[in-house]
Amino acid sequence: MSRNKIFVVAKNEFLKRVKTRWFVFTTLLGPIVMVGFFTVVGIVTATSLETNEKVISLRDETSRLESEFVDPSGKITFKATDSSDDELKKLVLSGDISGYLVLPNGLIEGTESARYYSTEGGGISNFSGDLRSIVRDAVRLVRLEDQAVSREVFEIINANVSLDSIQLSDAGEEQGSTAAYAIVGGIMGFLIYITMLVYGSVVMQGVIEEKTSRVVEIIISSVKPFQLLMGKVLGIGAMGLVQMSFWAILIAAGTTFSGAIIGLIGPPTGSNLPDTATQAEILDSIGFTIPDLGPEVFIWFVLFFLMGYLLYATLFAGIGSAVEQQQDAQSLMLPVMMPIIVSIMFLQAVLEAPNSTLSVALSLFPFTAPIPMVVRIAMIDVPFWQIALSFSLLVGAFLGAVWVSSRIYRIGILSYGKKPSLKELIRWLRYA
Amino acid sequence: MPNLNVQGVTKRYGKFVAVNNISFDAKPGRILGLLGPNGAGKTTTIRMITFITIPDEGEIRYGESMVGEKSQEKMGYLPEERGLYKKMKVGEQLMYFAELKGMGKAEARDRIRYWLDRFGALEWVGKKTNELSKGMQQKIQFIATILHNPSLLILDEPFGGLDPINAELLQDVIMELKDEGRTILFASHRMEQVEQLCDDICLISKGEIIVKGALSDIKRQFGKNTILMDFEGPDAFLDELVSKGAVRLGSRSTRHAELNLLGGTTPKQILEMALPHVSNITRFELVEPPMREIFVTAVSRQQSQQASTTV
Repeated sequence: MSRNKIFVVAKNEFLKRVKTRWFVFTTLLGPIVMVGFFTVVGIVTATSLETNEKVISLRDETSRLESEFVDPSGKITFKATDSSDDELKKLVLSGDISGYLVLPNGLIEGTESARYYSTEGGGISNFSGDLRSIVRDAVRLVRLEDQAVSREVFEIINANVSLDSIQLSDAGEEQGSTAAYAIVGGIMGFLIYITMLVYGSVVMQGVIEEKTSRVVEIIISSVKPFQLLMGKVLGIGAMGLVQMSFWAILIAAGTTFSGAIIGLIGPPTGSNLPDTATQAEILDSIGFTIPDLGPEVFIWFVLFFLMGYLLYATLFAGIGSAVEQQQDAQSLMLPVMMPIIVSIMFLQAVLEAPNSTLSVALSLFPFTAPIPMVVRIAMIDVPFWQIALSFSLLVGAFLGAVWVSSRIYRIGILSYGKKPSLKELIRWLRYA
Repeated sequence: MPNLNVQGVTKRYGKFVAVNNISFDAKPGRILGLLGPNGAGKTTTIRMITFITIPDEGEIRYGESMVGEKSQEKMGYLPEERGLYKKMKVGEQLMYFAELKGMGKAEARDRIRYWLDRFGALEWVGKKTNELSKGMQQKIQFIATILHNPSLLILDEPFGGLDPINAELLQDVIMELKDEGRTILFASHRMEQVEQLCDDICLISKGEIIVKGALSDIKRQFGKNTILMDFEGPDAFLDELVSKGAVRLGSRSTRHAELNLLGGTTPKQILEMALPHVSNITRFELVEPPMREIFVTAVSRQQSQQASTTV
């Protein structure tokens, strides 16, 4: 009987929301907005790369280095000059040249530095790295020449030395895609963060609306507050799941056909792929490999998302019941939100060292667990006992949250007037 | 149909005693008026009957068993502070309320149509609540209360916000429901309506029952001590009577007065006082006190008693 009423409430909450224009709008337009966003970022990046061709004036005071100045990528053109600083500065400021490079006499002995003047300053861009290595190569060549070492030796020393990262796991070894795993893990973690907050606050709004419109007293003369609370959380969770599934299908379709899509936009510059190139070849040519994730990663992703949502939505519902306006909820929400904020703050740290003590601790503590645990599962082989322990603790925390929230809720939804303090909420827990 | 039986019920919030050891019965086919000043404990009592809250002491039975989820399905509760989902359509909303009460869809659909038609509201079925006027919402709320065919009705100020025509329609429906043998609890501050509708009275003040019983018995207990008088001419004699302490004025207008006899004053004395002043008397009648009078008398008596015991 009681489970039945939870279902009636959940069904109503679900249908009521799914039928709104807002839901249809966000579900359909969410991915379009997201794709649009990435397209804009892509276009901006691409155009900025194209305009990257620079003309640089070069004043070689040593008179020995100039002949060695070649940019292997061909994007930088060096023009030798004897002009004074003042004249060159004018040219830079007027935009006639991108900048000018001064190679002082002491550069070869290492007593002085090369100086690059531009309107952009140095920064840590690729460009300044490229420029540094061009200068370094030229200086090294001249230094070796001075010691009568042949050019072949330089070529030998300069030959490519590369390092591949290979991830070891029980299933064997996988090569090269650690970065891709981190990206997928990061996206999953962030998705959990966003959806937990968005759907959680939908629950809270629903509770506040029911309370301020005073419809709640009619409802709880038919169902227990606990059933209303659970029905609401589950119904809105179902709505979230529908929305997420729709997006997941789109993402899956997107990755399956991503090669074809990139092919449509135009083959990557500089690639000499035949028209018959496979998708993997196309993706390889732009330096991206689709990480090969097992189904268990997605299963755990869904499970941790669901439990994380349930935990926080339940707490948000409890808070919503205590207030009459959204603004009043802010101060009560802060302590509840802290763990989520902490877990997103340490996201970078978890991505960099998924097996560190910090990462393990964060992924076990139930209030922070969902995000770091999913990130770790996507990146590495997390020992099963850790996943099981984390999930059990999360379920335990959820049950605890239900106990706490349903007590606050029972009193809260019928309390009007002054906004209660955290202390009063704790006192409500003791009312039978 | 079963009795509602409230037995020795106490409810505390922290140190505050909202309801203190109250007992009363509500019987099928009768309307029980639940009266009392603001903050007397009426809402607390109603919430315990509707199983929204649970008594600290005592028990509430509906029929053979204690109130609970079972009895909730047989109850219809119209709270004083009420509302509807603003963005839901009238029909969907009523269907949801019916389903929460455990009603089947087909049956609920028939009854929604019947009652909307009865209240002349059938064309609103597809409208959202926030498009309706206050009076219309009021009717929808009443329909939500009786939709699932409850045998126990709890109506808290059901006439608030209704125009006289709709109030009469609602009154007819309430009397009809009573005649079908349902038990009705009626909470109101409007004493004329209490008088018109109620068979029994339960007057609560400061969490305690101070008057309880059949309305006619209570009136008889208070005795015929009220004079209704219609007259023409100056009314200065009324002030004189009050200053002497012979009467208390229940209500007063230019040509009408309701006088409560105090301290053994007889109707004859009043008449003798009035005659020299007024130009004519068109009505002079000794009656039982109106409900408002009983309310005021009983509540002020209790409060003065409490004041003297605490000193």
